[in-house]
Amino acid sequence: MNLDKLLETGDRCIHKEPPTCTAQCPVHLEIIDFLSEIEKGNFQNAYKLMEKKMPFHNIIGRICDHPCEAPCERSKAGGSIRISDLEKAVLEYGAYKPKKVWPLPKNKGKVAIIGGGLSGLTTAIDLDKKGYSVTIFEKTNRLGGRLWDFVGESMTEELLQQEMKAIADKKITIHFDATVDQKRLAELLTEYDAVYLGTAAWEEPIEANPVTFQVGDSTLFVGGQLLNKSDSVILSASSGRRAAISIERYLSKVSLTDSRDREGVFETPLQFDITSKKPLLPIEKTAAIYSREEAIEEAQRCVKCQCRKCIEGCVHLRKFEMSPDAYIRQINHSERIILGTHYANKMINSCAECGLCKEECFLDISMNDVIHETRESMVQRGKMPVSAHDFALKDMAFSNSSRFSLVRKQPSKEESKDLFYYPLISFSDYVKGLYKGTGKTEYLFYPGCQLPASYPDDIKSIYEYLVGHVKGDVGIYLGCCGAPADWAGQQGLMNENIEAIKKVWTEMEQPTFILACSSCIRIFEKYLPEIKVESLWDIYVREGLPNKDHIKIPQTLSIHDACGTRENSDLHESVRKIVAKLGYGIEELEYTKEKTKCCGYGGLVYYANREQSNAFVSERIGESENDLLVYCAMCKDLFVSGGKRTYHLLDLIYPKDEGESATRKMPTLSERHQNRSRVKQILLKEIWREEPLEGVMEDNFTLIIPEDVKKNIEDRYILMEDIQAVLKNAEAKNERFCNPDTGEYLAKLRRDNVTFWVKYEKEEESFLIKSVYSHRMEILEEDGNSGGTK
Amino acid sequence: MKHESNDQTKWLCDKCQRELELAKVKVRYMEGNFEVDLMKCPTCNQVFIDEALALGKMKEVEEGLEDK
Repeated sequence: MNLDKLLETGDRCIHKEPPTCTAQCPVHLEIIDFLSEIEKGNFQNAYKLMEKKMPFHNIIGRICDHPCEAPCERSKAGGSIRISDLEKAVLEYGAYKPKKVWPLPKNKGKVAIIGGGLSGLTTAIDLDKKGYSVTIFEKTNRLGGRLWDFVGESMTEELLQQEMKAIADKKITIHFDATVDQKRLAELLTEYDAVYLGTAAWEEPIEANPVTFQVGDSTLFVGGQLLNKSDSVILSASSGRRAAISIERYLSKVSLTDSRDREGVFETPLQFDITSKKPLLPIEKTAAIYSREEAIEEAQRCVKCQCRKCIEGCVHLRKFEMSPDAYIRQINHSERIILGTHYANKMINSCAECGLCKEECFLDISMNDVIHETRESMVQRGKMPVSAHDFALKDMAFSNSSRFSLVRKQPSKEESKDLFYYPLISFSDYVKGLYKGTGKTEYLFYPGCQLPASYPDDIKSIYEYLVGHVKGDVGIYLGCCGAPADWAGQQGLMNENIEAIKKVWTEMEQPTFILACSSCIRIFEKYLPEIKVESLWDIYVREGLPNKDHIKIPQTLSIHDACGTRENSDLHESVRKIVAKLGYGIEELEYTKEKTKCCGYGGLVYYANREQSNAFVSERIGESENDLLVYCAMCKDLFVSGGKRTYHLLDLIYPKDEGESATRKMPTLSERHQNRSRVKQILLKEIWREEPLEGVMEDNFTLIIPEDVKKNIEDRYILMEDIQAVLKNAEAKNERFCNPDTGEYLAKLRRDNVTFWVKYEKEEESFLIKSVYSHRMEILEEDGNSGGTK
Repeated sequence: MKHESNDQTKWLCDKCQRELELAKVKVRYMEGNFEVDLMKCPTCNQVFIDEALALGKMKEVEEGLEDK
């Protein structure tokens, strides 16, 4: 993994960037913090923030020309925050006596300041604080310069006098009535280590470096109105402060230019979307200064501009309290650990890889891609926790084993000729389709692994529909597209799977794949762009729906788009057309279509972090009062398990008589296996009229499993076949423990990389299961055997 | 990872009909090899792990090793 590139991506994230108000404030008052303190009624803390950043805060806080206000994002929703008025209120309610500061010995150098106005005084005070011996040359008989022009209601003469006196009381030498001209300046430059020129006007034009304010490479620095060509007081103060920094750097012989790109006014890269905020008008003052209550209320209008778009949309980022920049730093750290604990593993495996973050981001930063690449790197380096994805990968192996996998061409005309009789040949589209068979497979129906697991009874109907409606022969291909391997970061396994699919495609003479699962669609787009695919839903729109007698309960549904289809707007439209055609109303969710959310299954988060998965489910199902409509089997199963009435599109297209389809529980993990095998058996028997090669029902014990145990079995990713295998071994070899007091047995068996334990009681011919659990750790029994076989 | 659960003394090895004894047992996960005291049958050596141990301490150690 290219960690430099990773960090660059993190640096692009604007989450940590300052708001425009602070960026436009020449001295960078931390305005969000400032307003937050006011909001909490902590005027003194707000005052501290002014004191920290603002030179002569008691003066500037009263007369500032507030360039922060105009660009305030709130201006687009009610009106800018009245920051300037709030500063005045803070000076009124939060001021405290300044702490006595012990002056540093003045041994760092001698600096002359020309002009005792705001900028010169700022430079003088800043350098004095740092231990420079400062001398001010002021042409009039008082300090303050044009500050005296601001005396009025906000700033009294008394206050200004007090502030100026405080300067005079410092160990700064001040020469009043000291006019400095070109000639005198030349002398001062030789007498002092550095000179600051802060007069409003000068005899001839002066060119200074725009960053350092240094004139050429001399010891002369410029600031204030002379430099700024503006009468802004805050800009004057800021330039004085920046010149002081330059002078200090110059006299300390360090770089004058390093890391100074964000001094003074700058453009923040932050972007903020205020459209979701309710407009609020500014609070009007009832007196010259806001009352405390008014100030608090005004500060509350601040939206605290910070880019949180991806975080707001993503329950994973919120659960871990992560912004992309912070997340990337954690990944970077985790990738660089050689010895030690990879604390970020759980987080990295808790992302649904749904891609909403990129969709929401102003800069298209895709945490999905970053996290996916990280998972691939973890697998490559042998650092991926096995337990995170083991079950899902085994499930994928199951789907690609002979227990489910199947490839068949459409039954040939020859094989089907016994069906070509009246009335079948006239009324069955399927039989008509068979009759038109050419032997060349134009389409291959690939329903994926989860749809057959959840909808075993519909696969045959869909296949028959396709044979009867699309032009050309339709074959079938059962298997798993590899989405679990992709999500798990298993590139090797993924590539193998892709090669296997390509091989079938080539052998079948490159048919178009008909896909019904959104994850398959995503995987084919990502890994198999050479294969032409069509979505089953697009075909229903094009060829017409199969049944005429749909349920007609007028109802409004909210459509939850599958996250794998995010970029597939045609598909979104097809689904909506089908829903409308079936007679349902549609109310769109806030996060819909290209901005849809994940149900909680994506990225295998369902297996890696069930708590996180549940959080995805509950957030999504809480977004609408309506019943949901989905078109991905896992979305349906997860939402129903979360207690939400949810229809899968197939529930509406192929309505069943039994039960209420919107609340139909998700099949257990074992039932999902059985259902897939059943689909294969049904198709072989009823479409290809072949005798099944292997029995579906194995020679099994009869189990009685209480509900609470069943739930544990599911939560612990244990299959019935694991339990059966443990029992079979225990019963055959007596390899078990017994408890004479209770009559219970406890048996174990290691299967592959997991040891399964079953506690049971025998009741005549059946087994009452008391508990089932497993561990991965291997127990080395003394004969070197680890207690199991496979 | 020493473990003695409350009820394990009642369990017998069904094959050997022997009472279980606490003994040093080797366990392995990923690159971790340890010796721990666990209950086992003194005759056939089969080791007893109860639910609390498997889902508690053992799982914790497994997760710790997986994150190494």
